[in-house]
Amino acid sequence: MASAPATPLAPADLRRPRGRARKRLLNGWVFLLMAAVAVVMLYPFYFLLDNAFRTQAQFDQHSGHSLAGWTQLFHDLPVGSELLNSMIVCAASIAIILLVSTTAGFAFAKLRYRGSGMVFLLVVAALMVPLQSIIIPEYVNLAKYSLINSYFGAVLVYVALGTPFATFLMATYYRGISDELIEAAVMDGLGYERTFLQIALPLSLPAIATVTVLQFIQIWDDLLVGLLFLQPGQRTITVGLAALSAGRTTSIPALMAGSFISAVPAIVVYLIFQRHLIRGLTLGMGK
Amino acid sequence: MSLTEAEPSRAAAPPAGRRGAGRSRLARRRRRAGIFLSLPAVAVVIALLGVPIAQAIYYSMTTWNGLTATWIGPSAYTGALHDPIFWRVLENNGLLLLAIPFAIGIPLGVAALLNEHVRGWRFFRSVYFLPTAVSWVVIGMVALQFFALDGLMNKMLADIGLGSFQADMLAGQRSALVALAITFIWSMLGTNTIIFLTGMATLDPTLIEAARVDGLARRQIFFRVTLPLLKRFVQFSFVITMISAFSALFSLIFVMTGGGPGLGTTTLEFFVYQSGFAQGQFGTGALYGIVLFVIMIVVGLVQLRLIRSEDGEGW
Repeated sequence: MASAPATPLAPADLRRPRGRARKRLLNGWVFLLMAAVAVVMLYPFYFLLDNAFRTQAQFDQHSGHSLAGWTQLFHDLPVGSELLNSMIVCAASIAIILLVSTTAGFAFAKLRYRGSGMVFLLVVAALMVPLQSIIIPEYVNLAKYSLINSYFGAVLVYVALGTPFATFLMATYYRGISDELIEAAVMDGLGYERTFLQIALPLSLPAIATVTVLQFIQIWDDLLVGLLFLQPGQRTITVGLAALSAGRTTSIPALMAGSFISAVPAIVVYLIFQRHLIRGLTLGMGK
Repeated sequence: MSLTEAEPSRAAAPPAGRRGAGRSRLARRRRRAGIFLSLPAVAVVIALLGVPIAQAIYYSMTTWNGLTATWIGPSAYTGALHDPIFWRVLENNGLLLLAIPFAIGIPLGVAALLNEHVRGWRFFRSVYFLPTAVSWVVIGMVALQFFALDGLMNKMLADIGLGSFQADMLAGQRSALVALAITFIWSMLGTNTIIFLTGMATLDPTLIEAARVDGLARRQIFFRVTLPLLKRFVQFSFVITMISAFSALFSLIFVMTGGGPGLGTTTLEFFVYQSGFAQGQFGTGALYGIVLFVIMIVVGLVQLRLIRSEDGEGW
């Protein structure tokens, strides 16, 4: 710290360095507390990784490491094909969600027609429908059209669940684009559809990224829909893992290894697109 | 960019007469485009959410085991009210509500810490938010090991000399629910912290400064100035937390307890799955789903009302 000047000082000036020292001490405490919380939040991931590299016996004794967990996992679970299934289901669902939410979001924000406000409210109100409330009829309906023997049934359910919020988010974003811009493009003879495609859509890339990241994490991490609407051969990694843990007793290290593999893609996406995820969450606050 | 070039062309608008006719034609095209573009989303919502919810209401008034359905009407609901299982399941949902003050209070404190913007706060924010990206399945797997009889929790208890408190939490009905609630609180930390941090960023720093000049202590500033200004955000986080507690814990329950022991951790959402898909009682499952739906609507409406009454308008 700077040494105290030799010249006499006013009381206020005397207080300042002491205040700074106190502030420093306080910051130290704050840092320590935050670090402690970080340990609590990160420990499970360390535990996961640490115990994935063990045999069941090593796990029971809390010592020693080996690759047994991983070999067991690949023996018990078709990891590669389930990762691929996850990718397929996520990609298809997100593509459809983006298609319907960007178009509708644009229409609700910029192409208002009589009753469009009510229709928008209807779409957003669908946010309130919990999956569990509709899952039985949904299952019956999709089974009737034999859609539960392919990826498509699950994809449709994910689309239904993702559309209301995605549409809300896109509409909120498009509202921020000036009306004059759209009008001008239309006056220039682009037509509303092409104005949407060539002007509004490129402008909304940040919102599209937000929807994509939110939906990717949601769908990748989902269990219930996949469990009911996908056949074992089409199971996503998350569903496969849960089924493994509920079914035959496998070694815990294998489950830890599986947990790790299934978590990595979503974590990577999170680390890269964190900003978008946070924006998606806070946009939901209706502001 | 072509967008900015497009701007002036509007200033050079066509003469008034032509413009009027053009306008109405444009308005018609605009309406058509609006309906056309919003149609897919509306179709998805009606076909895959609206129709099923209506069907669920119908199913809930039948006894349906997947083969034969018998109409019993609204008395299905009064029947449920006399069913001890219904109350047991509802009790679990009620008890889960007790986790909400912790799931909101702890993040509020954590957000206040982060908001000091001490070195590394961005890193910590990322770390706290990390569980948001991880599936409940994975979280449940680890929690299962944490609460196990020979797991970390009991080991820590022994280490700090509280060995007599060691317990197999997942073996008891109430304690299993507590274990579930703790896991839930842990994984909500990031989400709620982000909400409060966003809220704190909107606060006017001069207000805090003024309070400090007035001689209020840090704690007083937090409770008397910051917290009241964050009311909206607390409400929002309450709704998110409540919705999660009631309708996002299926995977966690599936992996950690399977609803047990007994009905110890069977909440409404889990019972829908149990009765509908494990026992093939579609009617009962649908009924519990509708009860859950009604609870969600009530929460949603209360929230909407709160927002409206404060701002004078919602969206």
